[in-house]
Amino acid sequence: MADIAGVNGQREQFRVVGQRNLPGKLSYTIASGVAQFGNDFVLPDMLHAKFLRSPYANARVVSVDTERARALPGVADIVTWLDEDIVRISSHGESFGPGTRPWIDNIADQEGAEVAVIVVAEDEDTCDRALEMLDVQWEVLPHIVDLHRGRQPDAYVIRPQVREAPTFGAPGMGGPPNPPKRGNVAYSNMISGDAEAGFDAASHIIEYDLYTPAFAAHLPNPSGSVAWWFDDPYHPEGGKSLHIEGAVRERMAIAMMYGLPPEKTVQEGLFMGGKYCDWGLRKSQEITPLLARRTGRPVRCVNTREDMFDFIMKQRYVHMKVGFNEEGLITAVEDDSIADGGVWGSSSFGNVGDLTQGPYNTLKCKNVTQRMEIVDSNRGKMYVSGQHCPFNWDSITMAIHLIAEKLGRDPIDIARLNLHGPNSQDDIDPVPSFEACVEAGKKLMGWQWHRAGAKRLPDGRLHGASFRYQMCPRHSFSSYNCKLELRNGVVHMPTQGPLFGVFAVECNAMVVAEELGLSYDDIQIDFDYRETFTPVGGGSDGTTASAWVMKECANILKLRILEAAIEYANDPPVPGFGHGFGPPPPPPGPFRGLAPDDLDIVEGRVVLKSDPSQGVPFKQATPKNLFATYSGRPPLALWVTGQMGKQLDTMNTAYCEVAVDEETGEVEILRFGVVADPGKVMRPISLESQIDQVMFFSQGCQLLEDFVYDEKTGVKLNNNMIDYKKPGMMDVPRVDREFLETRAGNAAYGSNGISHSLANTHLAIIAIYNAIGVWVDPPATPDKVLSALNKDMPF
Amino acid sequence: MESKIGAGMTLTQEAAQRRVADIISAIPVVLTEYRCPLCARVFPGYSGLREHYEAEHAGAIAPIVVMLMLNGKGCEVLIEPHWTLKRTLQFRLGLTGTKHMCDKGVCGSCTVIMDGRPVLACQILTAECEGRDIQTIEGIAADPKWKPLIDAYCRWDAMQCGYCTTGFLVTAKALLDRNPNPTERECREALAGNICICGTYPRHSQAIIEAAAAMSGGGVDG
Repeated sequence: MADIAGVNGQREQFRVVGQRNLPGKLSYTIASGVAQFGNDFVLPDMLHAKFLRSPYANARVVSVDTERARALPGVADIVTWLDEDIVRISSHGESFGPGTRPWIDNIADQEGAEVAVIVVAEDEDTCDRALEMLDVQWEVLPHIVDLHRGRQPDAYVIRPQVREAPTFGAPGMGGPPNPPKRGNVAYSNMISGDAEAGFDAASHIIEYDLYTPAFAAHLPNPSGSVAWWFDDPYHPEGGKSLHIEGAVRERMAIAMMYGLPPEKTVQEGLFMGGKYCDWGLRKSQEITPLLARRTGRPVRCVNTREDMFDFIMKQRYVHMKVGFNEEGLITAVEDDSIADGGVWGSSSFGNVGDLTQGPYNTLKCKNVTQRMEIVDSNRGKMYVSGQHCPFNWDSITMAIHLIAEKLGRDPIDIARLNLHGPNSQDDIDPVPSFEACVEAGKKLMGWQWHRAGAKRLPDGRLHGASFRYQMCPRHSFSSYNCKLELRNGVVHMPTQGPLFGVFAVECNAMVVAEELGLSYDDIQIDFDYRETFTPVGGGSDGTTASAWVMKECANILKLRILEAAIEYANDPPVPGFGHGFGPPPPPPGPFRGLAPDDLDIVEGRVVLKSDPSQGVPFKQATPKNLFATYSGRPPLALWVTGQMGKQLDTMNTAYCEVAVDEETGEVEILRFGVVADPGKVMRPISLESQIDQVMFFSQGCQLLEDFVYDEKTGVKLNNNMIDYKKPGMMDVPRVDREFLETRAGNAAYGSNGISHSLANTHLAIIAIYNAIGVWVDPPATPDKVLSALNKDMPF
Repeated sequence: MESKIGAGMTLTQEAAQRRVADIISAIPVVLTEYRCPLCARVFPGYSGLREHYEAEHAGAIAPIVVMLMLNGKGCEVLIEPHWTLKRTLQFRLGLTGTKHMCDKGVCGSCTVIMDGRPVLACQILTAECEGRDIQTIEGIAADPKWKPLIDAYCRWDAMQCGYCTTGFLVTAKALLDRNPNPTERECREALAGNICICGTYPRHSQAIIEAAAAMSGGGVDG
């Protein structure tokens, strides 16, 4: 869908949008070390708080005696789950979790879970000592960290009180209602078409397993907050006002939690850290206002790194059965998945409901059955979104490569054959964006597909390559309320921010500058937590959608400026009168008797269209302060209106080349290649960075990262940055990127962003298969590669 | 165009430079009060605090006074003997540009330069730092000589969420101190101990090489 509804949607000339090397508005603050994240705040007389954390994977606190801990010098307060203050509070942050549960109670459903007691003391060391002095009686319960064990009929049921199915995926779409939850297992079954008939029509049927390891969200900044109460002369009614730092963007949720009106809740900090679709508030971000109120002093509560190993992708096992004909056209798909339901309150996003989200919908084949078991576990928690769960897209990527191998045909041709046309699953026309991406991708990669194990590099290692397509999902359903102001000749863009890892505010400022004939530096960003405009909403998607709204707003302001310039020219102040004190008003521009259509704005000046040399700067054009507001969203993206993949516009393709050393089992990613069609490139460097990031994420989960548990105790063994390996500077490969601009998106200038659509769990794994002809489940560590090759480790 | 924003932050390079200079100058050279970490009582002299410990917290290890040389400025600081330099920078000196991420010496977010070498502040006891020349990101950012490095980092978006950025920058400065014209490979090797969850890795080499050129008198392509 082209952007034909908005102003200047198909603008051809760009001065600002698309420019490189424009510093972020907060970049100097960050680079200089001035930026303060929640855990950085230190206040005079500040206390520290810590939670009792469970050493067991599943346990119940039967009783706690706090007497000895309370007597420890430096302990200021101890609260338990039975205290009235605790019983009264509830969370208002984003959550997909089932049912209601007290904010904190005596149940610990994973190792490290906050449970039962919070200690407040003069410093963190004293908190630790006090926690050690608690006399806690635990009832240790059986745990489930192995999903296969958890789904057995005789398995211990870890959450018998929660009988609800996960939020997404229930009830079944187009099929019978999902079965009721049984034991630890909830069901999400979806049926499209007639899979049996599809298999009957197939010439070949392949079956394969796909394993997706859990993947850490790994927020760089340990989550936490600092809160204090203060006498607010502007809002004295209702007692003290709250200042909380560290729960960035969640000021309203905190206000609601503590029954405060927004005006009595202050939050100035702008820096969230790397919150990539992980919007959930941690308890350390919620509790400090209560503790500060109880103690009368500022309180800081910050998680340790070990407390911060939450999921952004949960473990999943998939068994796939795919039927296809002699040409390679898929006729039927069966997807039997076992997915981790996580602990209580864990998001089910990306673990259920694949059929509603896209991957299977891009196929011509309509015969798809998905049966999913979601197994409650004590493994851990995923907060909200699951950025790295691209809806099991790689189950089809694997099918395409297996079909290609079976038929001896290029997987790109198999993909093209199976991808439906732009308008429906019955449309056989090519998708222009896909064709353009593939054409460019082949050139970028020097693409020459070979069968598994058929190519050696000059150094003797085996060469493998893989390819993957995806549609570009986007968040055009997000609405924004924005405003712009011309104040004393300067255009101000107020926003609450925040900064969370994408350059959204900057992209918006570029669009405003473009539309108002200004430079990027001319736009004054006013960061203010009280403002409503926050350009958040799905990576670059949110950026482009919010930019569409800002574009509309900028054009409203532009019209007001032109009208005001004419009004000032038509009715200038009488010299010596009418302007009160101060210097005389400037002479108006030569706009008397003209209409707004006669004028334009060029380089910060209101000018005559007929003769742009005649004009005046804003400050001279009008003495007025002018406002423009806009509330709304861009036209809905095809992702939304086209039934999540049953219609297609902008696509992206990714490629991977690996070298596998058969002697050591070492896999080297030689390079990633990405050809993406974001519709229109708005801010090139941040788009490139987003590509790099998502490819490095993908590299990590395929070669390095997984959660390791002790089966006997259910305890996590590698929730620290030594044992849980993230890719570093020397690990990451080259990423070659190319962007196409089909202008086919719905947001500003036909852009749509790419969000996390390039995240993948098997691109490198498939390339390894292409190299050695054997599947290796991620993470493909050398020992697993050698095991797949039936070799021992060389040491 | 300069504006004050939330939590005292500023938008321009010049304003940020002034801000970090203010932060450094606000650090007192001599301690004038001594606060008991166990019960928060404040004493005008160190001897008073020691006597208080003997009387009220017998058996507990008393805080110590350490003289640090930070960003070219000497300052007394009252710490507990087991405190790391990272902890001291944040909780005693207000230098929060040195970040806490892994607390295990793995991520590089807390990198400072000590006697000319990049070191991890989460792995060093403050008590061991007495008399050592320590540079933090605030000192580097306040020094006009390093403006090209800060500029290049900002021009190249060598940051996303921004949390690990200062650790990279300090390491980059240490690299340029010993190698004014590093290659891309040398940049990567120097920064191998810094982890960025946001995957900004390719940007750092670009920024460092551009800064090196600017500092040696070369131009910067727009």
